[in-house]
Amino acid sequence: MPSKKNTAAQAAPVPVEENTPAPANGKEQQEKSKANEPLLHLIVFKLGAEYYGIKIEQVKEVTVTPSITRMPRTPDFVKGVANIRGDIIAIMDLEERFGIKPVPASSENGITYTLVIEAKEYSIGVVVKEVPQSLNLSVSKMDKAPSFLQDIAVQENYIEGLAKVDNRLIIVLDMYKILSGDEIKQLSS
Amino acid sequence: MKSREQEYKEIFIAEALEYFDALNRHISDLEKRPQEDKLLAEIFRLLHNLKANAKAIGYLRISDVSHKLETAFSLIRNKELQFSDEIVTVLFEGVDLLGELIHNIDNENYGEPDPVLLRNLDIIVDNLSDSTIELAKVQRYNPTKNLSLSELVYIQIKKLDHLLNLVGELVIDRDRILSISRELGNDELKSVSSHLNRITEELQYSIMDARLVSIGSLFNKFPRIVRDIAIAEKKEVDLALSGHDIQIDRNILQIITDSLLHLVRNAITHGIEKPEQREKKGKSRTGKLSLVARNDRENVQIQLSDDGNGIDLVQVRKAIVERNFLSTAAVEHLPPTEVLSYLFEPGFSLAKEVTEFSGRGVGLDVVKNAVDAIGGRIWVESEKGLGTTFILQLPTSIAVKGALLFEVDSIFYAIPLIHTEQVVAMEVSELHEVGGVLVADVFGETITVVYLHELLNVKEREMNLGDKSRLKGLVQNIIIVSYNNRKLGLIVDKLYRQQDIVVKPLSKPLDAIDLYGGVTLLGSGNVCLVLDVPAVTRYFISRRQLVAAE
Repeated sequence: MPSKKNTAAQAAPVPVEENTPAPANGKEQQEKSKANEPLLHLIVFKLGAEYYGIKIEQVKEVTVTPSITRMPRTPDFVKGVANIRGDIIAIMDLEERFGIKPVPASSENGITYTLVIEAKEYSIGVVVKEVPQSLNLSVSKMDKAPSFLQDIAVQENYIEGLAKVDNRLIIVLDMYKILSGDEIKQLSS
Repeated sequence: MKSREQEYKEIFIAEALEYFDALNRHISDLEKRPQEDKLLAEIFRLLHNLKANAKAIGYLRISDVSHKLETAFSLIRNKELQFSDEIVTVLFEGVDLLGELIHNIDNENYGEPDPVLLRNLDIIVDNLSDSTIELAKVQRYNPTKNLSLSELVYIQIKKLDHLLNLVGELVIDRDRILSISRELGNDELKSVSSHLNRITEELQYSIMDARLVSIGSLFNKFPRIVRDIAIAEKKEVDLALSGHDIQIDRNILQIITDSLLHLVRNAITHGIEKPEQREKKGKSRTGKLSLVARNDRENVQIQLSDDGNGIDLVQVRKAIVERNFLSTAAVEHLPPTEVLSYLFEPGFSLAKEVTEFSGRGVGLDVVKNAVDAIGGRIWVESEKGLGTTFILQLPTSIAVKGALLFEVDSIFYAIPLIHTEQVVAMEVSELHEVGGVLVADVFGETITVVYLHELLNVKEREMNLGDKSRLKGLVQNIIIVSYNNRKLGLIVDKLYRQQDIVVKPLSKPLDAIDLYGGVTLLGSGNVCLVLDVPAVTRYFISRRQLVAAE
């Protein structure tokens, strides 16, 4: 199947504010960081009550969630498949996946957004309820996940780190690890 | 469309011209480096192939000249002949003559080849020491010689795969455009889209056609294989082949190659008896094995028959019980076709001895998986003492499949036609609750029926496959599918139409879900799930076993 690697963030109907800092991301954030320090570019979204971030390299595009065809007899976190520009991709519900209690949607029109994630071996869509934001921060703003999180987390080490920006805590996810081998097996059983 | 014969001829000419070009190159090199054995060997090989090909297709003049040249070069190779100027000239002339003959295969006005040249060749070949080569007449230059490039190109199958994928995408978009154009009712759009429709269809079939190879390309490998296995097994086997010209997608043929080999090995090692045993049974010493291909509607059927032992149903029934597939009571009433279907279950093998060629633990289940993977079917017929026949039904092409579209709980589904037997409509009163499932009498045959909505959408804990009251409406549409000789009726909510679909395989990580063979996009833009009949059947069986165990 021809992959469309170059469409990343290119034709997304929802404006991903790549250059405009998200509201809470004060401009001084960037100014404070040393000029030559590498920057981390995240797409930030909300799951439950917390903020989560994915590195922009792993996000192929952001779009209004298209109509999803349910796939019976798949795990609950698989919402189904959707046709995104001719590619049929799996749509995942990360709240379901992480066992996060959903917070009632704030958007009254019922529109949700889908981040199309390109991981090493697969593409998946992740549904979020609010418009995802773009955020730049210096790498030093991100701490590795606390060790106890990593310990208990047997297969849960998809948390790459915690970023503190103003008063927000952003949980940075490693999308390459979001589907563990066990879950792929669960899919097939 | 060209006839097979015409196509073979074109392939021969293209190849022959390639050989001719290579010969010219090598012989020129040889003139400069007469001592190089590699060059000689290559020339020898080219001439030999050309001779054999020409002979096979009936161009005797070409094969004759090639033969003479080949002999001359073999003399040079064996140092019985010097690669001298005189001889070089004659050989160049000979090669030119070959080229001329190849170019003029279709030219009826082309006369006889130059007799002087032929005689000169003979002189060299017969190694007449008194050199009587008439050089004067040989020296000529043909100014009309044209430079021409081959009519054939070789292409990697990967590139054809890519083309086929692209066409698949195109077909999906075309369907979408057709449906939009119907909705909009704009005349101009209508005429453009109907043209697009025609072009796409033609493109699709041309690419599918380009991928076709004749089954003979696989069949021709079997005589030697059969001979080797037969000798190792101390058996006498006659192999009859037919249907060489049947066309099939190259990748499908590739996928079933191992399966067919496996079945052939089985037939010889386990099917056909030793000559002495055969004589005792009143059969001929030599066992008969036949491999037949034929077109069957849109599919290709390959049939492998032997006249050996046959399969002992009693033994199979015993094995079914021993391996805990079914109870003794259940096995007794199983019809023979269903008994035989258990041969394809994983871990079910009747072979007791391991031989060099068979019984290495790779069973018929592997064969079946390969056939399932390409959306084909396999079944076996056998009569004890008389022989066994395996029948493989294969799609001609991977990309496009005829399928039946339907809806269950507002989701669109498709089932490939190769797995569907028939479609019936029945009133609920005609369905009966028996032993935790529903059964129906369909034209005198009792068939297990399952409500797809119940099987697919109801929580596994609450699933009840034997409850008629869960059905909606009075009349039920039932698609009867068949897998491994077992029929299963699927009750669907709405039945749509039969349609050619392009199946897109599911991408990772969804490809691990075996319930779905892929997806297709409908003209409306909707995603339609393609159900994998083998997996659905297996899922149904596993559910039943769970219920039975409780």
